[in-house]
Amino acid sequence: MSRSVLRKKAVTALLYAALVLFAVWILFPFWFLVNNSFMTPEEAVAVPPHWIPEEPTLGNYSAILAGKVAPGGAEVGLRVLTALGESLAVGVLTVMVNLALGGTAAYSMSRYKYRGSRLTYLAVLFARLVPAIAIVAAFFVALRDLGLINSRYGLVIVYTSFTLPITILVLKNYFDGLPRELDEAALVDGASRLQALWYVIRPIARPGFIAAGCLVFLESWGEFFYALTLTNQLTIPPVLAGFRGFFQFNWTTLAAATVLAVVPPVLLALIFQRYVVRGLAQGVTK
Amino acid sequence: MVASAQARATVDARRLPPAGSPMSDRMFGLALALPAIISLILVVGIPGVQTLVYSFQRVPLSDDPATFVGTDNYAKVLGDESFVESLVVTLQYTAGYVLLATILGLLFALLLDQPLRGRGIARALLIIPWATPVIIAGVMWKWLIDPSVGGLNAVLFELGVLEDYKPFLADREWALVFTILAAGWHQASFSALLFLASLQTLPNEIVEAAKVDGATAWQRFRGIVFPWLRPMLLVVVVINVIYGVLQFDTVWVMTQGGPGDATTLLPILLYRQLFIFSDIGAGSALAVMLGIVAVLVSSIALILLGRDNPLEA
Repeated sequence: MSRSVLRKKAVTALLYAALVLFAVWILFPFWFLVNNSFMTPEEAVAVPPHWIPEEPTLGNYSAILAGKVAPGGAEVGLRVLTALGESLAVGVLTVMVNLALGGTAAYSMSRYKYRGSRLTYLAVLFARLVPAIAIVAAFFVALRDLGLINSRYGLVIVYTSFTLPITILVLKNYFDGLPRELDEAALVDGASRLQALWYVIRPIARPGFIAAGCLVFLESWGEFFYALTLTNQLTIPPVLAGFRGFFQFNWTTLAAATVLAVVPPVLLALIFQRYVVRGLAQGVTK
Repeated sequence: MVASAQARATVDARRLPPAGSPMSDRMFGLALALPAIISLILVVGIPGVQTLVYSFQRVPLSDDPATFVGTDNYAKVLGDESFVESLVVTLQYTAGYVLLATILGLLFALLLDQPLRGRGIARALLIIPWATPVIIAGVMWKWLIDPSVGGLNAVLFELGVLEDYKPFLADREWALVFTILAAGWHQASFSALLFLASLQTLPNEIVEAAKVDGATAWQRFRGIVFPWLRPMLLVVVVINVIYGVLQFDTVWVMTQGGPGDATTLLPILLYRQLFIFSDIGAGSALAVMLGIVAVLVSSIALILLGRDNPLEA
């Protein structure tokens, strides 16, 4: 074997070793989490640790379903399930608001010029740059005055502030990539401008809507700062963060709750992988 | 109407003709965008201005009217010793976070761009940390490094790296390192996804031609791949800087700013001002300064990237 062939083999071996390290980096925290969620609290503190549960138990999951913080613990009305439901409701509502408002605005920006249309675009860019954390005080006072503290609708309003610019930018990019002949053909066939948008562009732009919808849902599902400050543990992120405050707290039960909270966004991202990644890149660069 | 529409469509394909509607195209475009414009004014514009106003006011908790206090709030925030400490911690945190998330992301993208077996699965794996909410990454890492249940202590102990199980988060330096690591775990995937998207648009022929000409892997990286990635690198670095400066979630769930003030980033300080000390004025002053930093950093990048490639993040 020549030296260059040997070298090539060594490089390939190194690359595969790196690939294994990469997988460990990503999967080790998950393995630890899932593993512990099927353990009894006693087994979780074993030294040396068990890398697979010796007596796997569903106790942590059933404790959560029963509203407890630990298997066999007192019922404290732990709101993991309701919080997951609220997270879902807030996410779905935020996505719907975003696609309706963002879809029309993005289409307008892609196809029509009006006085101030350039300004609108710059305003959307600027709105994207305003950090959510910087305007929380105003939201706090406003929602308090409106009686929308601890309300899912309050969160939807607030979440729209940082998701709508993403939606508009992703969808505008998508619409820009669709040939204008599509709209024009519809108009020539006698469709109104709204009909052209609804019956021609909307179905064709589905990948764009899926990408924007997924990005918005992921942002909404994982949002913690506003949920912490504007609600009383309404959605799942503050519930997980506040778990330790419970009496009889168990890490293994928190692990089960965390598994339940992380499966939906990860599944969504994996199922719509292609759309999401393209949308992510489009939302960031043009 | 249809006939005239047809005529106009052929004359000017860039402008859509009015088809049976009395509204002009300009009005129609504005009407379509108006709901979003009004929404953004309501949920970004007004809160932004309101925060700016609060930063010059003393805001009582009751319904009493706020009073104008000039720049007192800013003086209060800037004159506070904890602000300077927090600024230093935030800079350290951001530096570590940006380096980790960007370099690791670049390495991941370069690795997953190679024609390796299992690359499809690896790319799917890459999405998982990014899809994992930052707050959940914090929960996972907090317990992963916990001395009583954590797996990391056990692994390091078995490998002989540690002589005893170590409560990392009770140590000032380690707490900073691991809050960076938890957030970086999430963000490295984000960076890698963007780098990979950019790499996939690199025309294969260029790389192949360089190979034929006998360029080494390092020469190809320096001469072709890296220059190709540079615009994306700028975007990624800017986003990572902003996310670093504004990081709250992982720190809150792992250390709540401790031990002592070792991980009290500026957003943690902001939270305390607003919701522990209920000082909306001072909190808003800090928020305005954070907001200005974030907008400035991105605007500079926007200018650097040029008009053809505006930063939209």
